[in-house]
Amino acid sequence: MHISDGILSVPVLVTGAILTAGGTALGLKRLRHETVPQTAILSSAFFVASLIHVPLGPSSVHLILNGLAGIILGWITFPALLIALFLQTILFQFGGLTTLGVNTFNMAFPGVIAYFICHPLLKIGKPHSITLAGILAAVIGISLAGLFVALELVFTGQGFIPVAKLVLVAHVPVIIIEAIITAVILNFLHKAKPEILGVDK
Amino acid sequence: MLQEPFANGNSFIHNLDPRIRILFAFFFAIIVATTWHLSALLWAFFFVVVVFVLTKLNMRDILKRILVVNTFIVLLVIILPFSYPGQVIYALGPLTLTKQGFFYALYIFLKSNLILTCVILLLSTTSIFSLAHALHHLHVPSKLVQLIFFTFRYIHVIYRQYQKLMRAVKLRCFTPKTNIYTYKTYAYLVASLLIKSYDRSERVYKAMVCRGFQGTFPVFRHFKMTTKDRLLSMAATIYLLFLAILAWK
Amino acid sequence: MEVIKLEDISFAYPRGKIVLHGLNFSLKKGERVGIMGPNGTGKTTFLQIIVGLLKPQAGRVVIMGKERQTETDFYEVRSKIGFMFQDPDDQLFCPTVAEEIAFGPLNLGIPRQEVAKIVSRTLGLVGLAGFEDRVTYKLSGGEKRLVALASLLAMQPEVLLLDEPTGDLDPQNIKRLVSILSRLSLSYLIVSHDKQFLQQVTQKQFWFEDGRFLPLDTFHP
Repeated sequence: MHISDGILSVPVLVTGAILTAGGTALGLKRLRHETVPQTAILSSAFFVASLIHVPLGPSSVHLILNGLAGIILGWITFPALLIALFLQTILFQFGGLTTLGVNTFNMAFPGVIAYFICHPLLKIGKPHSITLAGILAAVIGISLAGLFVALELVFTGQGFIPVAKLVLVAHVPVIIIEAIITAVILNFLHKAKPEILGVDK
Repeated sequence: MLQEPFANGNSFIHNLDPRIRILFAFFFAIIVATTWHLSALLWAFFFVVVVFVLTKLNMRDILKRILVVNTFIVLLVIILPFSYPGQVIYALGPLTLTKQGFFYALYIFLKSNLILTCVILLLSTTSIFSLAHALHHLHVPSKLVQLIFFTFRYIHVIYRQYQKLMRAVKLRCFTPKTNIYTYKTYAYLVASLLIKSYDRSERVYKAMVCRGFQGTFPVFRHFKMTTKDRLLSMAATIYLLFLAILAWK
Repeated sequence: MEVIKLEDISFAYPRGKIVLHGLNFSLKKGERVGIMGPNGTGKTTFLQIIVGLLKPQAGRVVIMGKERQTETDFYEVRSKIGFMFQDPDDQLFCPTVAEEIAFGPLNLGIPRQEVAKIVSRTLGLVGLAGFEDRVTYKLSGGEKRLVALASLLAMQPEVLLLDEPTGDLDPQNIKRLVSILSRLSLSYLIVSHDKQFLQQVTQKQFWFEDGRFLPLDTFHP
């Protein structure tokens, strides 16, 4: 979930911008010139995936897959998601200009954590460990993203507490769906194209 | 979905140097997002109206866009007056509406929508490619600019690929429902998109190497600032200073 | 003089089957050769070895009289041999047609003013004059194909390698490509499944299977 302009307080906005600037700098340092096309094309794929709506009861939710993006891109998740969010702001006005830092951090930092936790599991290479990695990536990715949004609202003002609670509750079904989908995707990729995951078979 | 519906106009704003527009939108957003003065918001509103007239865009198209993105803001605006502590002006059972909460919600609503409209009018009226080009001239790190170029370029190719896959799946009688089977099918779709994209990225890279690519991107064309652009950026700076004084006094 | 000479080339993909084994091939200056063959027999692999995108495990790659091994060797090769990929979307990545065509020449260090002239001349050559500012990803399949060709011709190559150039073209556009190719004074090597097209634009055609070239007219698939 992306926060629009004009809602958050200045300290929250500035903290988000600084953290994202740091993460992006780290990511760009790890990005070699020759791999720019590859990283960008994978980010395009994640961008398209985020446009996919999957049914949930009478409604639908769109995929986020920040945990999976984290596993594949590592620290480069920061620049990749910064760009995705920038494009979303210009193309559909989702998110905002002043909240670019905050929103990128909310999505990318959980992704980076998922990278460090799930990679050892992928290296084991057993179907169970891969499934576990997928579930963990989604749980970490989505629940932290939701938690960060809730915290940012609460830090902005006590009046946001009910909304923050609502945000947390709304993330629960998404966690379940993403856990299933990420686990299946990881097993598929591990079978068909382990290079993407950075593990050699 | 991925079209740039506002980018293809021919107006005073459309022809303005994208660098000026980016800088202006950025500072405008910062000032408006951080102000708590109604007078600053009124001046911001006045400005947005002027720019709107200059873009010659259709009012209904823009309003439609604004409405779609307002769902979360509206939710906030409904809840905030009741959850914000302050002087109670209306009570409905356990719900209490506070004066402070009401004004807080009003400000958020105005600020969000002013910035939103400004982004549509100034930035969505440029193609992503010219924006990226302008960011290059504004000294955004070159790798980041290259990522924008490539990502946007291949979003189209991959989206078309997704549509083809989805069509093929539907032709085999797949109907999305809330169940594991549906989620698994979507997972397969996304995984094959990722694999196809990965393979494609290898071919794209090879094709670039064949044309002498060694890691740096040559820039073929450069922007030129016209006298009009210079005059306008001066006027814009004066306006922003004025707005900032009102906003942060 | 032989512009391309492959001697005893063997190639296998990592974790994959052997694709080429002891392959020999040569292309003389001015020659125009067509290659047909079943899917998955290594035709694209063969083309990629010529420009050094893949390195054979054994054998010699001799281009323009010099044996080529390192990336630097092949950098020079690639400025002389233009390689057109199967899917134009793999090749066209710039926002506008002009920038797409300028990419190669600029990489070769040609000055900007010169490049601008090359762009309009090359577009004229493929019949797309005035397309400079068009957005590449919004072009039709046939136009993309022609822009991809123009982006190679802009580097003034001596040889062209075309990998299934007619796959996505309608008869009208195939005719256009035939007339462009026959106007060029280059050597080229075309891989295609379209026998009629190959006979129109090449002097010799081969059938490629099991890592060997057989004359197409003695072979009836």
